[in-house]
Amino acid sequence: MHGRPRKASKPEDEAASITKAQKLRALQTQFFSFHHSKIYTKEAVELSAKLLEINPESYTAWNYRKLAVEHYLSQPDCNPESVKSLLDDELRVVESALRQNFKSYGAWHHRKWVLSKGHSSVDLELRLLDKFQKADSRNFHAWNYRRFVAELMNRSEKDEIKYTEDMIYTNFSNYSAWHNRSVLLSSLLEKKAEGFLLKENLLPEEYEFIHQAIFTDPDDQSGWFYHLWLLDQTVTTDHPLLVSTWPAHGSDVFLVGDRCQNGSFSPFTTVLSDSGSFPIVLYFNQPVKGVSSSTVIIECGFNKNEELLWEPLSVSNSQTAQVWVAHLKCPTSEHDSSVEISVGYSKEIVSPRGSQYSHPSTFSFKVHVQPVERDSSRVSVAENILWREENFKVYRAQSEESIPIPSFDQLCIKNGHESTASNWRTEALAKEVECFRELLSLMDCKIGKLTLARLLMAYDVMSFPFANKLVHSEEVLELYNDLMKLDPTHHRYYKDEHSLVLLRKMTSSEESLLQHCFQYKDSVSSAIGNPICLRLNNLSLSRIRAFERLLWVQMLDLSHNELESIEGLEAMQLLYGLSLGNNKLRSLTALEPLRKLKSLRVLDISYNQIGDHSIDTTRYLCSSPLSHSVGSELNDVALINYWEAFYMFKDLNLTQLDIVGNTIADEKFKSVLVKIMPLLKRLNGELLD
Amino acid sequence: MESLTSPTVTQRDQILVEQQVFNIFNTFFNMPPSSQSFMLELQRENHVDYLTNGLKHLAPSFCVLDANRPWICYWILHSIALMDEFVDPELEDNTIDFLSRCQDPNGGYGGGPGQLPHLATTYAAVNSLVTLGGDKALSSINREKLYSFMRQMKDASGGFRMHDGGEIDVRACYTAISVASLLNILDDELVQNVGNYVLSCQTYEGGISGEPGSEAHGGYTFCGLATMILINEVDRLDLSSLIDWVVFRQGVEGGFQGRTNKLVDGCYSFWQGGIFALLKRLNSSKGERSIPVGDGEDSEPESPQTTASSDATEEEGLNMDLSQGGSHSEKGDQQETSSRVTVDNIDHNSSKGRAKVEPLFNSLALQQYILLCSQDLNGGLRDKPGKSRDHYHTCYCLSGLSVCQRSWSEDEDSPPLPRAVLGPYSNLLEPIHPLHNVVLDRYQEAHEFFTRS
Repeated sequence: MHGRPRKASKPEDEAASITKAQKLRALQTQFFSFHHSKIYTKEAVELSAKLLEINPESYTAWNYRKLAVEHYLSQPDCNPESVKSLLDDELRVVESALRQNFKSYGAWHHRKWVLSKGHSSVDLELRLLDKFQKADSRNFHAWNYRRFVAELMNRSEKDEIKYTEDMIYTNFSNYSAWHNRSVLLSSLLEKKAEGFLLKENLLPEEYEFIHQAIFTDPDDQSGWFYHLWLLDQTVTTDHPLLVSTWPAHGSDVFLVGDRCQNGSFSPFTTVLSDSGSFPIVLYFNQPVKGVSSSTVIIECGFNKNEELLWEPLSVSNSQTAQVWVAHLKCPTSEHDSSVEISVGYSKEIVSPRGSQYSHPSTFSFKVHVQPVERDSSRVSVAENILWREENFKVYRAQSEESIPIPSFDQLCIKNGHESTASNWRTEALAKEVECFRELLSLMDCKIGKLTLARLLMAYDVMSFPFANKLVHSEEVLELYNDLMKLDPTHHRYYKDEHSLVLLRKMTSSEESLLQHCFQYKDSVSSAIGNPICLRLNNLSLSRIRAFERLLWVQMLDLSHNELESIEGLEAMQLLYGLSLGNNKLRSLTALEPLRKLKSLRVLDISYNQIGDHSIDTTRYLCSSPLSHSVGSELNDVALINYWEAFYMFKDLNLTQLDIVGNTIADEKFKSVLVKIMPLLKRLNGELLD
Repeated sequence: MESLTSPTVTQRDQILVEQQVFNIFNTFFNMPPSSQSFMLELQRENHVDYLTNGLKHLAPSFCVLDANRPWICYWILHSIALMDEFVDPELEDNTIDFLSRCQDPNGGYGGGPGQLPHLATTYAAVNSLVTLGGDKALSSINREKLYSFMRQMKDASGGFRMHDGGEIDVRACYTAISVASLLNILDDELVQNVGNYVLSCQTYEGGISGEPGSEAHGGYTFCGLATMILINEVDRLDLSSLIDWVVFRQGVEGGFQGRTNKLVDGCYSFWQGGIFALLKRLNSSKGERSIPVGDGEDSEPESPQTTASSDATEEEGLNMDLSQGGSHSEKGDQQETSSRVTVDNIDHNSSKGRAKVEPLFNSLALQQYILLCSQDLNGGLRDKPGKSRDHYHTCYCLSGLSVCQRSWSEDEDSPPLPRAVLGPYSNLLEPIHPLHNVVLDRYQEAHEFFTRS
């Protein structure tokens, strides 16, 4: 499609081109008459070569030549030698055509066709490629052809890697060479059978190599792209792993029908289950598909015959997700019941890249049920959570309560062999850290700082998988602070990264997490029975993550931050109350993750910017409203105009919503909300009829 | 590696281009406002002359062997249509006749009469005919035969071959699917496994390559994304990494590069810029409806003036860029105060389905590059300063310009605000349908024609 620029014509050229056109016309007429009457004489074939020399893009002529070759091969008198010389002729025609235009799709394709016949010497091809690749080292036709030839010759990846090295030594800005190197290495790594070709042998050498380029000129982007790829190769484990679950392994879960009646259970693991079921959450280290009742086996004393329906928690409608949820019916008897869940004993859980979940793991927990004995309507009406400072009391663990927060040993599924296998990874990262500290001591370099921050974080996460603390988090935070000042154009990116590191730091240990745990108690209710509220307010967070450690949270206060997105929050399946007040949410579509939170009852999105902006940037990543069937409810005109509200709220079971302080929240809008959510009891603090 | 002091060839070329471009910008900023507004003016007449001459010039030698004739027709006709001009009836007739002669008796269009049918030239021929419009042009397409040609080009892998025995790549997928969708002959057989093929071409960079194993490339990324939208499988792509890749292809010059660490080139104003137009429309594009750009189905009760925004940061962003653009910002401000918007309108608008979406690229910087660096004041547009104009670059620079001008608009029907259009408002081009790159009202005519028949 990318036509070659046509040269601007001068008058004298024009005359020449007219003559040329006339000549061509004669040639063409002759060629088509041969082609259409299937004449493949020597003279006719030569004529097509002439045409191709002038116009290499004449794919009809290339096809004619293919037919001519096939025609000749079908003759009884053809012998291996004549075939070879015939095909050599073809190669010659291609070569001269490429000299005329080395971006000609038809010419490259014809060459592939000739070589696939298997009669020509392949050795010459590399020499020819050399010539073309020197003339234009970024020509993707040539690189594609090179990969084709290498495969045909069975040339080893190592030799080809060596070639990219030569190209890089001539011009280390040549991204095509770096790219091909990554393709070759990937294919080497896939051939694990050869044993010695493990990442741990290959990657350290690659780091050494890339350092030369980066230290030569830290401003050149090609090397950095490759470095990013290497880092990704180092950090990502090939196989999906289960990193966290709810309920956690070894935990005791208390299911109550009514919060007000119990007093003795841990507020961390007591869950309201008025729907008669409770969620089981699987959190993987990467998105996976294939989680189903045949890949996840449940053993429990109750619900023997129940097939669990596993649902991917992803905002788009794909069947791939990092987090999966299923709902298990509560046991009917009051007896304690244990549940054992085994994941991945059959091989169908795979990453999108096709790596199998290969480390089967099992976790178990106990379920205790408290029967329902209440007048539910009365209790619900009284409930009114006010996210006021005075209503939160610092949580103090009761002396007898051994493990208030599901401990990280329990949260993380142990994968012993992984930690030893990861030694080379941490070593590689440590080396990189050292190297970039050196680079930064020599010069001030933004991308160097960013890389160091990424490296340190990756190092911390990897070396302390069951972590108590992240040793470098202060340094990383400092680096991002620096970058925000140095490079204001990308301020928001750095700010997001800063938030994520901060969150990781706060959630990395029981001790730091406990500092953010509060108990809710207002003037009318008692603290007893209310879940622990995790308060991550006033931290100027612009992004949130680290959900694998927060699956147990039922009340979450994220107010007074700078959140524009709550991506990933859909993992927190137990959420009952959520405050997003005083943030920077700009649109209703930014709330999309909430649609997956079936337990959510109390939501505060007051004092955001919903409706301030007629522009909605979250739309780019929001799944399409039209891809969901919107039922006949949308006949209502008021709802059509507010379909976003309809789409966001119709499946939520909210009883309390605060939306005051948003431009969108006028009287008309409020009346629409009441219509959409029949269960709503309080809107902006006011009791509804 | 080379010694520390000498830059690589790539870097040297990049520095040279930057110098050239910045010289142009500096000269521009130091000019008096009157010359500035002249510099920013799209030289419509000259462009139309250049293009019409090209088409006329082609006419007597229409039969000259060239495998790209329908492409040249498309580049020229589409460029003319973008400027809301027409070719004279005789030339139009000649063109339709010529394209009919390129149509193979067994379906599809070749690069010229007697040549094998080819998917890319089929795309160019169909887009040309749609751009010309009218019953004669549209009914000249043999859809039944074209469909069977496409079925023959369909490879078992799911991809398409460019022509009989030809290469398989993302370009072939796009041209096939775009044409089939436009002509209303797209069915499950054609769609089957196309998505798998395109998916296998998305690289770790985020963009899409021409064939598996190759590096991400602007043209192919556009083709791959448009294909995935047309077959309703766009959710399968890693969209966030695709967005990541494409935003970083806009360089300091304001224009786009086609691949990592390559030079800026005006034609990527469309291939990369068009990606943003597709992304913007994504959430209204699912299902049978194709992209409902102003199909009239979603007619809005409120006046289109509501696109004026009360968003302070947005205005700041635009004005900041415009201050570099010189004289234009004043005009923009005047217009702003003259069109009063009630608060009611804004509230209402923001909660509705078609909320306005902010462009993810710097639209004014790209317009600046196109007008100041790609425009040949004597007519025609080009890759970059120092290169000569040609029809291909004229077509894709202008298509990119049209995309930019509407990158802030809520829908293609209402004219964009003056401040979204760099230079005089007369620079405003016709809106395009971003999936097929034909002018929108021509698309609508064709869409209606092929739905009916």
